[in-house]
Amino acid sequence: MVNVLKGVLVECDPAMKQLLLHLDETNEFGRKFVIQDLDETHLFISADIVETLQDRIDDLMDRLSFPLAEK
Amino acid sequence: MGGNKKEKREEKKQKRARVEEEEFEYEEDDDFVEPGEVSQEVPAAALRDCDKEEAAKTDEFGAQDYRKTLELKPDHTSRPLWIAPNGHIFLESFSPVYRHAHDFLIAISEPVCRPEHIHEYKLTAYSLYAAVSVGLQTGDIIEYLRRLSKTSLPDGIIEFIKLCTLSYGKVKLVLKHNCYFVESQFPEVLQKLLKDPAIQASRKRQEGEEESADGFITGELSGKSALQLKKAANGKEGESQPGTSAEDAQNGEEKKEEVPEDIFNYYEKMDREEEDEEEEGALKTVSFEINQENVEDVQKRCIELEYPLLAEYDFRNDTVNPDINIDLKPSTVLRPYQEKSLRKMFGNGRARSGVIVLPCGAGKTLVGVTAACTVRKRCICLATSGVAVEQWRSQFKMWSTIDDSLICRFTSDAKDKPMGCAVCISTYSMLAHTTKRSYEAEKMMEWMQNQEWGLMVLDEVQTIPAKMFRRVLTIVNAHCKLGLTATLVREDDKIADLNFLIGPKLYEANWMELQNHGYIARVQCAEVWCPMTPEFYREYLTTKSQKKLLLYAMNPNKFRACQFLIRYHERRNDKIIVFSDNVFALQHYAVTLNKPYLYGPTTQGERLQILQNFQHNPKVNTIFVSKVADTSFDLPEANVLIQISAHGGSRRQEAQRLGRILRAKKGSAAEEYNAYFYSLVSQDTVEMAYSLKRQRFLINQGYSYKVITRLDGMDEEDLLYRTKEEQMQLLQKVLAATDKDAEEERALGEGGKALVQRKTGTMSSMSGADDTIYMEYRKKQVHPLFKKFKKT
Repeated sequence: MVNVLKGVLVECDPAMKQLLLHLDETNEFGRKFVIQDLDETHLFISADIVETLQDRIDDLMDRLSFPLAEK
Repeated sequence: MGGNKKEKREEKKQKRARVEEEEFEYEEDDDFVEPGEVSQEVPAAALRDCDKEEAAKTDEFGAQDYRKTLELKPDHTSRPLWIAPNGHIFLESFSPVYRHAHDFLIAISEPVCRPEHIHEYKLTAYSLYAAVSVGLQTGDIIEYLRRLSKTSLPDGIIEFIKLCTLSYGKVKLVLKHNCYFVESQFPEVLQKLLKDPAIQASRKRQEGEEESADGFITGELSGKSALQLKKAANGKEGESQPGTSAEDAQNGEEKKEEVPEDIFNYYEKMDREEEDEEEEGALKTVSFEINQENVEDVQKRCIELEYPLLAEYDFRNDTVNPDINIDLKPSTVLRPYQEKSLRKMFGNGRARSGVIVLPCGAGKTLVGVTAACTVRKRCICLATSGVAVEQWRSQFKMWSTIDDSLICRFTSDAKDKPMGCAVCISTYSMLAHTTKRSYEAEKMMEWMQNQEWGLMVLDEVQTIPAKMFRRVLTIVNAHCKLGLTATLVREDDKIADLNFLIGPKLYEANWMELQNHGYIARVQCAEVWCPMTPEFYREYLTTKSQKKLLLYAMNPNKFRACQFLIRYHERRNDKIIVFSDNVFALQHYAVTLNKPYLYGPTTQGERLQILQNFQHNPKVNTIFVSKVADTSFDLPEANVLIQISAHGGSRRQEAQRLGRILRAKKGSAAEEYNAYFYSLVSQDTVEMAYSLKRQRFLINQGYSYKVITRLDGMDEEDLLYRTKEEQMQLLQKVLAATDKDAEEERALGEGGKALVQRKTGTMSSMSGADDTIYMEYRKKQVHPLFKKFKKT
């Protein structure tokens, strides 16, 4: 029996990788999505989660910045 | 599906946040009313905001289209101002008339943002109030704005100016011969006030005076600037003054062809008027006397009638309080901006109460000392900490001829004998705290309450909240109040209260201009991004508690960056201060790097020893300090500042810290920058957001931050925490730390008392209130002050 999983190779800095693993472990999106933890900076994740993940990280980055123009 | 849910959650969160915000506003209001009648002390007109008057269409970038409402003048290129109907004024700093326009705008509006080319100002009720109190007239303001503007003046603005200025500044409360007078140049205004029964009742009449007669005392406003005295003392300064104004005129003539004449003509006219006032000052005034015990009632009543009283102190004619023997030393030279600010204060021969805003390190203390020398009455100085008190004392001795025995310190460590003293220096908390005092302190307080003080100098005035301030004011009776500060910002909007508690803002300096003239150091600000190591970031993600703070403060990469910067600058023979709000991190960094550190519990003696070593010992080039050193630590040698952890998003703290290295450096002309300010930030953590928040104030002053993502040469250095193993050990240590360690230092002892006070307020009364870190503070209601004073 052979299982075929479609996935995406993700390259990121070490800290970000920890974030992805964290999201995976806590079932943040309702399921596991990391297929294989490759090394310090690479992960193999399932392809269909990519969009949600991008949203999530955009959201995080938004929270970490502060609009200077507004008062 | 997941996305949808998330959105909903977001929405809920926002809603909750909004509700919370509203709650805070309520709480803040409560806070307002509770300590006294603060809210009543603000005239109705002052609460108006011209922002809401008109809303023009905005495009997608937030730009507003005023083409239909405003008309562009044909010679607009030579005029420097854009005036928007929402009260914002934009000034082109490259315009030939920049300097005139700048002086004028400083007087009538609040600077919002002053980068290199275009400066933004905002007209507010308070700023107009201040303008009136330094002697500008409604008509002049409108006329000059009209001439400077590139477009026609929006009607809303004219109306706003009229509304805010017409009734302001018409009546003054003058203290002469120790009697209070209500004085005005306009008899009809006094008539109107006297119609009010409450004021009528408190009027003091001579015996046998007829009821029907007006009986106003007429007088003349002797307008000679009180500062003359001082100028005579240092003749050079006096001479150079007309020199520069002549230069001004020349500059003006050269450029006259480019500039529409009316601008200059009018400016000259205003100038001349100002001079007239100074030289002849033959303005007729009328006044009536009021009973001393009713002064406060009259003040309140007048505000209700929309004629707020401006408090002035006629110290020259005060014969009841003895003059003290204090003068500026002949060698003391004031810088032009210091003189300018003082001239605003002593403009018409009397002392006005108000706030002077100068950057840290620009010589605020000298301004305070000069004011004391000008008034020459008993003077009380209030500072924020014991160290600051010592500094005030030494500054008094440095700049003025005051005898040592005339200075009296009143702090928990040093209580001098008050007998026969003329200048008393103390801290806010010393005066304001309400629990039991020692016998000695009790006596001292009694003595202070019974004195009539000529001048009260309030250092770092932005830190005092209204409640505490009112308490101080009720204890000490002073004729004239001078507030000094570098950063007139608070994360809550209570700064406006100062306008009515002390007085209007008299002067605000432009940081960039002082920097260009070399009065303060040229600082390169940098934000260094330190990536979190994976292990630390992992813990950061899973931890929910205060320890997050500890994790990003202790990030090994940050440590390495800090160590690298220290080594780099020590090699250049720089003097380095490292700031950390978190005591655990502070101790760890300092002990590991083998550097001296000082924080709240450090005793006064030890502090002075460390500071002296830092200043004079070539082997001690780096010190670690906690937030006790934020304000009033005068370290003229320091020129590098590294910040490893900070108090959330507090703009004030950032500016105050920068102030530690702002004092002008010697031999600085060669390099572009002569001071460095590094803020170390752990990437991908909440620190990034804080950091941006903190920078707003300095950016508005025209500073720019350089973002450094990689420090060159860091890999070649032999730094600590290179290996995974070492990093893991550090992580273990951090995880073993308790939650208590993770808290920011609570202001213990003398330092930052004001911060302690703020904690008793609402959440939003603390800086950056929307962050959960501060929640922790609120829950802990135990007041550190009480802990401390139980022992003594």
